[in-house]
Amino acid sequence: MSLVVSRCICGLLCRQAVPPRLLLGEYFPGVQSPWFSPVVTLKTSAPLRAEPKKKNKVDPRREQMMKERLKKKLKKLERVPPELIPIEDFITPTKCLDETRKRIPPRLSFEESESRALLLKEWSRYKQKQQMAEVEAIEVALEAQREALEELKLESKELYQAALKPDPLLFPFTHEGPAYTPPIPNYEAPDGKYNDVTKVYTQ
Amino acid sequence: MVSRSFPQLLTCFNRTAVGSAGCRRFSITPPGRATPQSSTAVERVTSPWTLMAAVCLQRLPVITADCSPIEQRFKQMMQQMELEKSLLSDHELRLMEDAERMSRKQGNEYDSDEEEGHGDQEIMLAQDLEDTWEQRFKSFQPAPRVRADLDKDLTSVQRCLADSLVLLAEQQVGAEKLWLLPQAAWQEGETLRQTAERALCSVTAAGFKATFLGNAPCGVYKYKLPKAARTESSVGTKVFFFKAILADSAPGTAPNTALLWVKKSELQKYLKPAYMMKVDRFILSL
Repeated sequence: MSLVVSRCICGLLCRQAVPPRLLLGEYFPGVQSPWFSPVVTLKTSAPLRAEPKKKNKVDPRREQMMKERLKKKLKKLERVPPELIPIEDFITPTKCLDETRKRIPPRLSFEESESRALLLKEWSRYKQKQQMAEVEAIEVALEAQREALEELKLESKELYQAALKPDPLLFPFTHEGPAYTPPIPNYEAPDGKYNDVTKVYTQ
Repeated sequence: MVSRSFPQLLTCFNRTAVGSAGCRRFSITPPGRATPQSSTAVERVTSPWTLMAAVCLQRLPVITADCSPIEQRFKQMMQQMELEKSLLSDHELRLMEDAERMSRKQGNEYDSDEEEGHGDQEIMLAQDLEDTWEQRFKSFQPAPRVRADLDKDLTSVQRCLADSLVLLAEQQVGAEKLWLLPQAAWQEGETLRQTAERALCSVTAAGFKATFLGNAPCGVYKYKLPKAARTESSVGTKVFFFKAILADSAPGTAPNTALLWVKKSELQKYLKPAYMMKVDRFILSL
């Protein structure tokens, strides 16, 4: 530090004074001659300058070893596996565990609970019939298609091969499903405002 | 297969020809290629059936069907049960808090300074919010689900929005005009699916946008000509049906022939019994 200070001061003095060499001798430190020691500079010596102690040859190697060890430790710490992105659906929010949110469970009469149980059984029977009907209808349709392909095979091999080929343009196939009310012709839906607060995780 | 072995034989012949010097290289059109064509030509000539392709164009339901009585009862019961098992929502909690605050305000010992800071909630009560939502819902007029006049019009594609409809066309078959799925005769050089697409275009004058579901036919109807009309070359017709789904219901230009949109239950009135039996199998009215 003191070296730097002395250098700065020297620099300043050199810049400020423009010495004519002939007139003034020793007072101007711009003159660089070994006989004229610059008086204005600070007298600095080794202890004053507080030089770092000179090192032995063993020390650089020791220093290197220490540095390597530190680097290895840092690398080990950095090798942490990336944090798993939490699945929001599997974490029960604390709002749901709030005691104040519980409803008073109503007391059902015997008839009510009986009717509910009977309705559930009726519903399962209805759904089973529906499912069997669907499966049968699909089987009948598949059988019809199989017959059609057999007839086509009897007719001509080329047409049969052409019929077996998959259609690459069919997928992706989209169709708007049924809604509760039919679409209003030439209806412009109003734009809705919303704040998207979904959390985006990056790994 | 015989046709495959012929080129192989020829290749080994060619190799031997190259090996022995002084042999003339002669080009042979491998007879293997000629035989399949002739065989199919022979097949087509001998096959006495004329091929036709028909399209089963379906307009899928636009609105949900009405619930049957058991479905309605079950729906109500499930809603009740789910409400009983659920927790109070934010809106319900707010309603309860507001009601409490109102009752406290009306009480004698009410100190507004002791209230916690719920500035917005005091200005706009949850009940008011509900009322505004109700107002906005009432101001929206949805289109009517059922229109009796359209339901009776068999030619309109907007009839019976809750069911899937099939397109029928009146076409000349032999001597008489029959109601059937639009069909066209197969021509050389096209696949049956292309024939079906041509049938649709010719009947509707390119008005409908349809997505054909795959290259394979979904059903077949064989029709043998009456014995008097049968000859060596034509015993009857085979009609292959292809399924398609109507994408756009804009009619565009007027159709050439009379068209009908019918539900599966109404098909019996228009189709011949034997035809109906075959067509009934692949039209699903689930």
